[in-house]
Amino acid sequence: MDTQVIGHRTPRVDGEFKLTGRADYTVDWQAQNMLYGYPVPASIAHGTLEKLHLDTARAMPGVVDIFHHGHFPKLYRSPNSPTHQDQVSEVRLPFEDERIHYDGQYIALVVAESFEQARAAAHAVHADYRRESGAIASLLDTDREGRLLASEGASRGDPEKAFDEAPVKIDHTYHIAAESHMQMEVHATLAEWRDERLIVHESSQGVVYQHKAMARIFGLPDESVEVVSHYIGSGFGNKLFMWPHAVATAGAAQMLGRPVKTILSRQQDMESGGNRPASRQRLRLAADPDGRLVSMRHDSTTETSFVHRYVDSLGSATPSLYACDNVAISQRLLEVHHGTPCPMRAPGETSGIHALETALDELAVELEMDPLELRRRNYADQDPASELPWSSKHLDDCYTSAAKRFGWERRDPAPGAMRDGDEIIGWGMATASWPALRMPCAARVELRDDGSVMAACGTQDIGTGTYTIVAQTVAELSGVPLKDIEVRLGESTLPAGPLSGGSMVTATALPAVAAALRNAFDALKEVATGEGGAFEGSDPESLEIEGGALKDDQGKRVSFGEMLTQQKLGSVNGEGQAAPGDEKGQYSFRSFGAHFVEVRWDPGISRLRVARVVSSIDIGRAINPSAARNQVEGSIVMGIGMALTEKLDYDPRDARLINNNYADYIVPCHADMPEIGVELLDNPDYAFNEFGARGVGEIGLTGIAAAIGNAVYHATGKRIRDLPITLEKVMDT
Amino acid sequence: MNMKEYSRQGDEAGSAETAVTLSVNGEMHQLRISPNVVLLDALRDRLGLTGTKKGCDHGQCGACTVHLDGQAINSCLKLAVMCEGHEVTTVEGLANDAGLHPVQQAFLEHDAYQCGFCTPGQMMSATALLEDERIGTDDAAVREAMSGNICRCGAYKNILAAIQTARGQGQAAPTAGKTS
Ligand code: FES
Ligand code: FES
Repeated sequence: MDTQVIGHRTPRVDGEFKLTGRADYTVDWQAQNMLYGYPVPASIAHGTLEKLHLDTARAMPGVVDIFHHGHFPKLYRSPNSPTHQDQVSEVRLPFEDERIHYDGQYIALVVAESFEQARAAAHAVHADYRRESGAIASLLDTDREGRLLASEGASRGDPEKAFDEAPVKIDHTYHIAAESHMQMEVHATLAEWRDERLIVHESSQGVVYQHKAMARIFGLPDESVEVVSHYIGSGFGNKLFMWPHAVATAGAAQMLGRPVKTILSRQQDMESGGNRPASRQRLRLAADPDGRLVSMRHDSTTETSFVHRYVDSLGSATPSLYACDNVAISQRLLEVHHGTPCPMRAPGETSGIHALETALDELAVELEMDPLELRRRNYADQDPASELPWSSKHLDDCYTSAAKRFGWERRDPAPGAMRDGDEIIGWGMATASWPALRMPCAARVELRDDGSVMAACGTQDIGTGTYTIVAQTVAELSGVPLKDIEVRLGESTLPAGPLSGGSMVTATALPAVAAALRNAFDALKEVATGEGGAFEGSDPESLEIEGGALKDDQGKRVSFGEMLTQQKLGSVNGEGQAAPGDEKGQYSFRSFGAHFVEVRWDPGISRLRVARVVSSIDIGRAINPSAARNQVEGSIVMGIGMALTEKLDYDPRDARLINNNYADYIVPCHADMPEIGVELLDNPDYAFNEFGARGVGEIGLTGIAAAIGNAVYHATGKRIRDLPITLEKVMDT
Repeated sequence: MNMKEYSRQGDEAGSAETAVTLSVNGEMHQLRISPNVVLLDALRDRLGLTGTKKGCDHGQCGACTVHLDGQAINSCLKLAVMCEGHEVTTVEGLANDAGLHPVQQAFLEHDAYQCGFCTPGQMMSATALLEDERIGTDDAAVREAMSGNICRCGAYKNILAAIQTARGQGQAAPTAGKTS
């Protein structure tokens, strides 16, 4: 497709709002007569709440009410069904009973006239608990294995026999600490009841899901709920499904008859607003002497909480990534006493690919083979799991291009052999991959008499650039300039759109927007060729769209706006739907890429830095290459944190979270930045959708921590199998 | 000068509210607030200037960065009552009738953000550092100086490029200390 706007670098259409402070994030909303909610978190992780001492807090200035078990509306649980889109992050309702399942679980919600008053009163609430011993702080602190999940297993061939008979093998176990999303805007809800209707502003990656869940929980018809999320201070998975603070806030607003806004503190957000679960993974790989994989076994355990079952599917990529006849994956789930985990950017596969790509590096060492060569020798020309051809796979080009730009051929394989002054240089690489997902979606487009176009879809822009790519799509197909295109997202009353997750919005929403636009064109042509129309009597099929106008084969042109104005019409509308079709049974859809990393280790002062990252990623077509590249660069930054510093530290004695803030939970800052060179290949995947895009939000995070860890091994000769690779591990092991 | 009066319901229980006059982006505001209200919450909740963001409330993230007399500060660490007699500049004060501030323009062109939530703070730090002669002009110096502003979306590379582009593009001092 020869394009004018799609595939071209486009400044964000919402940029000016964000840059001038006018973008309306949830935390920015105020309502008439609004109150502030402030949750009171439990200060134990395992036990029972015996008594709440509320008298002091109740008497404090501005306090309107304090909600808790026994003083809260009776609500229903949400069915929590992905199919019916009422999934929630925690099925347990707030204040449902007096059991405490994790540190930070809400035991009360203080509501007051001002934020300061609510906070002060919340701090004045005291609780008596009956503590129970035996709290499980983390999977990292226990030998418990958890229960095996039949739903997550897969196998082909006879991996055990092949392993036993193979000449070269490795068998290692890898741990990854729980991580926090640390999205910059904490979870926040503003709930308001108007004429029995519940209107919720939520910093959400899924307004449709929250809408349905709220309706089920409050026993309302779907028509009586509305969820709004125009701008989201990011969410890396933890805002996909609603958390209990939103229910507590909506319940409080209902009982008080006034709007209530609750903004979690950073501490609460980290304790009870989701995390990437810690994991334990055993990888058993075997190869023949030429480095061909003959057996892969990937056995994982992840955490969930005692109040919700969340499964991070760690092994899902493993059967598809490399050609190997004998493969088995299994997964176990262990309940722990900390806040409920949830998806975090490239959930499951980020952890799974980390272990697999580290294990492959270990196998390459055993084989005395270049780790890139090992991957090439096991290249999967079709999807070995489904045995379907790939819709479009260019991983070999990614390897070649990234290796060349990095200078990989100059690598001396001996650990510690490459030096620069006091620093030891380590080079490592890994494969990146994420499935291409697409869901059904609806959209609406309005062509207006002033020549502008409005496109609406009930999905969200979490910072990935959805507003802009929707506008680009409309501009491309209509010829209307971007400045005359309005995009509306983030309202659950708009035509239903997808979650901002799974890197699926681009492939899901754009075809629906295009379908709606084409229907709007048809409506316009009907007007144009009808009585009194500019093209009265012409065959609608003969009219073409060009530059915001209709055109016939005689060269006559009438702009959309002119046409509507002539007919005294304000607008014409088109609704459109799009969904994946039977291509699903014909191809396997997945994106691939390669990361090459240089680390520098200065043993004299024990300094470990990521110095350089070179990545080539194939995501099909990038609709907006600048925003797409930004996604991959941001993923690399997050991967540096995962590899080197990020760890939620739960106290093994009582399972309480120790580092619940930005100073003690260390995310990469500006001074940590390496040189980053990201290349996006441009191979449109038209088997997947008409725009050839597979999505880009997550793939960059997969493999990056493994590439860093492999580089650390190459620099130091030390294989750190537990993330994060903190300095003491490099120094001691 | 446009004087606006804001007040909250009185505290029956007697926690004293104090009168304070804040000068923000060249406009004077009279407030009655309790002494524990930080500048960030005064701006956001009382004055409706919600461009300044809260990421941590603890001086750990930089999202709340504003200028106080032209110096970048964390507004979550500053009591509002201490700001009387000083000039506060927020992100809302960066652009003027002539259009976006050069730093804003450079952020737009370099895609120096994703979700945009850290961005007001990033830009306030950036405008301050470009005026600060103690801070070097090389990339390493800028990275160091910008390290108090976390961007969890990880747009650092583009933020750096934007700042270096804005440098020398006649980046005017923001409206600090001036009355518009
Ligand atoms: S909100 Fe002030 S530094 Fe984070
Ligand atoms: S743009 Fe999202 S945190 Fe910086």
